[in-house]
Amino acid sequence: MPMGIIKASKLVFDYIRRDEENHVEEVNRAIDGLDLEIGKGDFVAILGHNGSGKSTFAKQVNGILLPTEGAVWVSGMDTRDDSHIWDIRKTAGMVFQNPDNQIIGNVVEEDVGFGPENLGVPTDEIWRRVDESLRAVGMAAYRLKSPNKLSGGQKQRVAIAGVMAMKPQCIILDEPTAMLDPDGRKEVIRTIHELNRKEGITVLLITHYMEEAIEADRVIVMDDGHVVMDGVPREIFSRVKELKHYRLDVPQVTELAYELKQEGLDMPDGVLTMEELLDALTKVFVSKTGGDVPPT
Amino acid sequence: MIREITLGQYYPVDSVLHRMDPRTKLFGTLVFIVSLFLADSLVAYGVITLFLVSAVRLSRVPFRFMVKGLKAMLFLLLASVSFNLFLTPGTEIFRIGFLRMTWEGVRLAGFMALRLVYLVIGSSVMTLTTTPNQLTDGLEKGLGVLKKVGVPVHEVSMMMSIALRFIPILVEETDKIMKAQMARGADFEAGNLFQKARSMVPLLVPLFISAFRRAADLAMAMEARCYHGGEGRTKMKPLHYQRRDRIAYLAYLVYLGAVAGLRYVDVAWIPRVL
Amino acid sequence: MSIKAEHVNYLYGEGTAFEQYALKDVSFEIGDGQFVGLIGHTGSGKSTLIQHLNGLLRASSGKVYYNGEDIYADHYDRKSLRSKVGLVFQYPEHQLFEVDVFSDVCFGPKNLGLSKEEINIRAREALIQVGLEERFWGQSPFELSGGQKRRVAIAGVLAMRPEVLILDEPTAGLDPRGRDEILDEILALHQEKGMTIILVSHSMEDIARYAGRILVMDHGEKIFDGPPKEVFCHYRELEKVGLAAPQITYVAQGLRERGIPIREDVTTVEEAKAAILELLGNGGGGKAGGV
Repeated sequence: MPMGIIKASKLVFDYIRRDEENHVEEVNRAIDGLDLEIGKGDFVAILGHNGSGKSTFAKQVNGILLPTEGAVWVSGMDTRDDSHIWDIRKTAGMVFQNPDNQIIGNVVEEDVGFGPENLGVPTDEIWRRVDESLRAVGMAAYRLKSPNKLSGGQKQRVAIAGVMAMKPQCIILDEPTAMLDPDGRKEVIRTIHELNRKEGITVLLITHYMEEAIEADRVIVMDDGHVVMDGVPREIFSRVKELKHYRLDVPQVTELAYELKQEGLDMPDGVLTMEELLDALTKVFVSKTGGDVPPT
Repeated sequence: MIREITLGQYYPVDSVLHRMDPRTKLFGTLVFIVSLFLADSLVAYGVITLFLVSAVRLSRVPFRFMVKGLKAMLFLLLASVSFNLFLTPGTEIFRIGFLRMTWEGVRLAGFMALRLVYLVIGSSVMTLTTTPNQLTDGLEKGLGVLKKVGVPVHEVSMMMSIALRFIPILVEETDKIMKAQMARGADFEAGNLFQKARSMVPLLVPLFISAFRRAADLAMAMEARCYHGGEGRTKMKPLHYQRRDRIAYLAYLVYLGAVAGLRYVDVAWIPRVL
Repeated sequence: MSIKAEHVNYLYGEGTAFEQYALKDVSFEIGDGQFVGLIGHTGSGKSTLIQHLNGLLRASSGKVYYNGEDIYADHYDRKSLRSKVGLVFQYPEHQLFEVDVFSDVCFGPKNLGLSKEEINIRAREALIQVGLEERFWGQSPFELSGGQKRRVAIAGVLAMRPEVLILDEPTAGLDPRGRDEILDEILALHQEKGMTIILVSHSMEDIARYAGRILVMDHGEKIFDGPPKEVFCHYRELEKVGLAAPQITYVAQGLRERGIPIREDVTTVEEAKAAILELLGNGGGGKAGGV
């Protein structure tokens, strides 16, 4: 099997707090023996409660933080290798939680051009990339606006465009929807799904909104700095009890199906969508009533 | 309300001034300011007025936006007018106590006021037609020579442009923090100066902590987007002089020549007013 | 105890070209001990509205009464109103400033001019109410986790012993468990202390689970006001203003469309479960047939 676009092996990371004399005061192990491989083109959701180490992992992939032990490879490049740092960062672009604190430009298009400018891309090519990226996230109409005048969801789409303009193979989004309202959340999730489908970008979505993980190709649950669950959404979401143990939740339809199954109803495992739940319930009702549920 | 304060009052229309190179506009503003101090006759002021009116017309920005900046200057304007009115020696009109108003004072005050008003309008023409980013770009490139003597021109202009982006955000945040503390019974107005200063602590601590946090976040975001200083950086909007800039520079030359000429060439038909 | 708004209008940028209604003819009365959910799209006026209730903003026209008293009357003590109608803003970072948690919670009661003992008693009480363990009290509030910071922020307002507690999205950014814990503590304040709660939230699921009444805002106007079951039956209208009903409401709706006569007004998982089991239990779903 070829090596995935992102690979972490026996990864350990400690946050070290030092006092004024530079003595170690406190060591906080955020990542503890993480092994993970992400395939090219996948849409992977990483779930975990606050403090589970998922954001720390995201920063490892981008080379913002470097491993205390173990290693991380991005497209075969070791993040500890200084000479590859810019290649790693443009291969695995990053979008952060707070939309305000990652937009540098005073005009949308100038912000999107910021990454390519840093990479020394020629001017004509910058313009081409800015055009493409803004179109890809559906923000072309706002290119001359001030970022301060945009909604949270729009700001995050600009941030995504800013990463896209660096022509990455992979985007890591660190809780990109945590500060957004429901509309903004949908906007951002739709955008990254599109980028994944149309442009083949590998997506690593870090979140604690379970609804956002339903359509992922793969769901990884982190706790205490390592992977505790890993599988397709249907499988993960059928383990309701386990998820709750890790301080997580399941979507309401999943929960209802699970609860009814506990009551002895014939419900399938890992119901993810409204349609599935309705179909399953209809079946239950039909079998109970001998198949004479009339159409409305 | 506090959130209505905006910096960088760019007015987005398409005009020849908007499209002009920011360096040209910066230089033009400088030329204009110099001309204001050179002018000492009504004729010269006529030339200046003509220059300013043409600039305003060329910018296609409604005139009322030009005079907006005057509001903030009102106090300074009044102060300078009253100083000149009463403290200029000359033919007395009337006196109140030790204050003597003179004809010379009236004339001087009039010209000072005109100078200040023109100064504000003139610089407004630049800020209204130039985005803050173009302005910092213009400064960066215009002052590029200083880089050779070790001045970090790129860094300074990057800082200015980031400050421009974050000032409105921090102003809004100040408003929110104030309200959150007022909801806990804080009073930012009562008491003497000392008490007032103390009452600012609950406002300033969250504000500073937030500003530091934003700075740390932003630094990380910039690094993640491969920012590593000005070295090897290309520009999305590089500055190139166009034909219109060359025409503008020519106009500056003629203009400055005219105003300076009116000052230094002694012709009888130009009455000096200052 | 009651809060009453009468024809409240609030204009932004009054007298300028940008004049805009942030609130338009809003009237309602919230009686003693209610748990009210306030929902609306971003920019619908909910934040503006809650700031009117504790006197932080003053209506351009209209009246606000607290306990029957006009809060805009000349002699009315608007500063003490703020201690009776406690308002917790969305980001705890906007209010935490002291060196340790305990001193920070003392800030509110200190501003009320209480004695040292009384301040300490209230701060202790408030911190216990929000369930923050004593070992955190001496810590810097900036070193706490998101959920803990939020608790300290709520305690900071509770320490003034308000009769009404307004919370602006108290769960934003918290993980699911953290969210449930905060909401359960708010519910406890409501049930045990009889405190009136006004909860601003984007989560219809949370509102359905906790609130006994919902106010819906859109473009500065109040468009719905009633019990959740009633309001969420209008899910089509809610969708038009950028909102929605809880997922479960749509499940019930879907089932009805397929001829399963489940009650229309289920809004939570527990209710749906009970309703479905009841349908199946009652003569094995015989009612579901109904040909």
